[in-house]
Amino acid sequence: MVQEKIRFQPFSPEPIRLVDEQGHWIAPFEHGLSPEQLQRFYRDMLAARILDEKLVILIRTGKTSFIAPHAGHEGAQVAIAHALQRGHDWLFPYYRDMGLVLAMEVPLVEVFGQTLGNAADPAKGRQMPSHPGSKSLNIFTVCSAIASHVPPAAGAAISMKLRGTGQVAICTFGDGATSEGDWHAGINFAAVQGAPAVFVCENNRYAISVNISRQTASENIAVKAHAYGIPGYYVDGLDVMASYFVMKEAIERARAGHGPSLVELVVHRFGAHSSADDDSRYRSREELAAERQQDPLLRYQRFLEKEGLWDAQWANELRIELAKEQEAALQEALQAGEPDPLQMFDDVYAARPWHLEEQRRLVMDELQS
Amino acid sequence: MPTMTLIQAINSALDEEMGRDERVMLLGEDVGKRGGVFLATEGLQQKYGPDRVIDSPLSEAAILGAAVGLAAHGMRPVAEIQFADYVFPGIDQLFSQAAKLRYRSGGQFTAPMVVRMPTGGGVKGGHHHSQSPEAHFAHTAGLKVVVVSTPYDTKGLLKAAIRNDDPVVFMEPKRLYRAVKEEVPSDDYLIPIGKAAVRREGSDITLVSYGGPMVETLRAAEEMAAAGVDPEVIDLRTVMPWDKETVLNSVAKTGRLLMISEAPRMASVASEVTATVSEELFDQLLAPPLRVTGFDTPYPLAQDKLYMPTVTRILNAAKRLLDY
Repeated sequence: MVQEKIRFQPFSPEPIRLVDEQGHWIAPFEHGLSPEQLQRFYRDMLAARILDEKLVILIRTGKTSFIAPHAGHEGAQVAIAHALQRGHDWLFPYYRDMGLVLAMEVPLVEVFGQTLGNAADPAKGRQMPSHPGSKSLNIFTVCSAIASHVPPAAGAAISMKLRGTGQVAICTFGDGATSEGDWHAGINFAAVQGAPAVFVCENNRYAISVNISRQTASENIAVKAHAYGIPGYYVDGLDVMASYFVMKEAIERARAGHGPSLVELVVHRFGAHSSADDDSRYRSREELAAERQQDPLLRYQRFLEKEGLWDAQWANELRIELAKEQEAALQEALQAGEPDPLQMFDDVYAARPWHLEEQRRLVMDELQS
Repeated sequence: MPTMTLIQAINSALDEEMGRDERVMLLGEDVGKRGGVFLATEGLQQKYGPDRVIDSPLSEAAILGAAVGLAAHGMRPVAEIQFADYVFPGIDQLFSQAAKLRYRSGGQFTAPMVVRMPTGGGVKGGHHHSQSPEAHFAHTAGLKVVVVSTPYDTKGLLKAAIRNDDPVVFMEPKRLYRAVKEEVPSDDYLIPIGKAAVRREGSDITLVSYGGPMVETLRAAEEMAAAGVDPEVIDLRTVMPWDKETVLNSVAKTGRLLMISEAPRMASVASEVTATVSEELFDQLLAPPLRVTGFDTPYPLAQDKLYMPTVTRILNAAKRLLDY
């Protein structure tokens, strides 16, 4: 539980930070987390990193068609997953959140099934990779259209308030999304309604190739919250402790009926935008190398080591165990085979209208001939 | 049985559905205190409170997007877009979110919502208060599209749309809002989505229309009957999925199809219906199916009445079919 006395300052001029690059607490902080919880954050961050590496292999070996690397976002994503009430709150993620859905405990076979677009995908191979979702975990299936999930998150939050469910809607997006009209429309409506929502920008400062300086003239993303009359938190998203405790405060604030917040988690994007992108065309290798020095996983490792909760042997064993788990899930997913081609005509509507029946029959005849 | 205008039938359907199911709620611009600019939601905020009848910000993206989230979370939202012409800022929510949510999630999430909008011309509204954009919706897999023309149907269809598990675009010809009154039962009844109504039985020619031009179509049918021709008149009521069976049965009988719609002709519902009839009944047709439609111009102000299918234009086209 977040300590009662913890209250972060919205609209801070510098990013909120609790643990420095070397893994030291910047100021004394009553975190109240157990050693197991602290180690769990590391485990989930490491699993996310291993997944990122694995996805790169899948794209290079032609097993999948697309990936959106999330390396550099792990601290922010694991913090979000642990700050919300899993299976109770609703998450509206975007396409760079594979580390987040992993930390939400979406079954690994489903994660790889979605990546392969085969029968192991609960969404029946309907969408390109990096578009997961899970009804049982209240993870609203990712939609490619940037920021289009922001108004639905507001709507779900309005429903939560209307029905008094005690839930919160958490909506994540990149920095590019903040320029879309739907981003404004959704946050504005949620704010007017005082709905329990938390809008989270994983700001890696690049929308594909466009730097944040070409995206907005605002000094940061968090200040945009001023315009909606809600708090905006400017946070070092490479600091998992800061990200977690700010997210926790924003979520519990929403749950308590005090309305939405905007949380900006400033992260790095170590990979290209996607497997279809060559980022050397727009950012220097020197810039990237400098960012890699600020690896959130490494910072958290230093922190844990100082807390006496990390050693190389434990970490190595953990890495081997996680890699083995993921490989086993991948193999299982690979066995699932292609989805039934006729599923193309399912789930358009609750029941198939006549024209889809006709079209389905056409394909069925073609397949049987 | 009370008599109602089309707008009163809408209000009655909303009232009954909100009374029946507490998940049903309304949102849109001016729908609360004002009761909507056409007064479709008059009195409902007073009755059900500001949380179930939400005066939204002036943002179609917010209205339609929030409706998606409300529906996915278990509510039955009825969103009002003030004029069909203003749906476009919210189209990404309708096309990318509402229409595809069931499909993209493999059936895990759904968006059972209704999007009401006044549509069509005839009120001297110029091109941003007069358009008939149903083809855009019909062209987008995942949406159902209803276009009403009578008070009785409006109540039954709106109630059916609210209880439907798919997103339904519910289009209300604004020039018919107060044009006619008819008896509308005060008890619960539904009209199935996807079923056309045969408004007049006949044997010489099939006139198919929906929405606003049903008025001119029926008037033309009367004139034809007076001149000794026996037309059958079909009101599609739902344009997606449209009732192919009823249309084909009728054209198989008459051998002649005239399709009437005030939407622009290019890539239209009228084009779809006539093409299907040509494909499926080619050897039974006595003449090539014809269309009388709105024109492929932006909707004009000065030529408001001329733009829409006129009785004269319908009669001329019917004559071409009968003389073929």
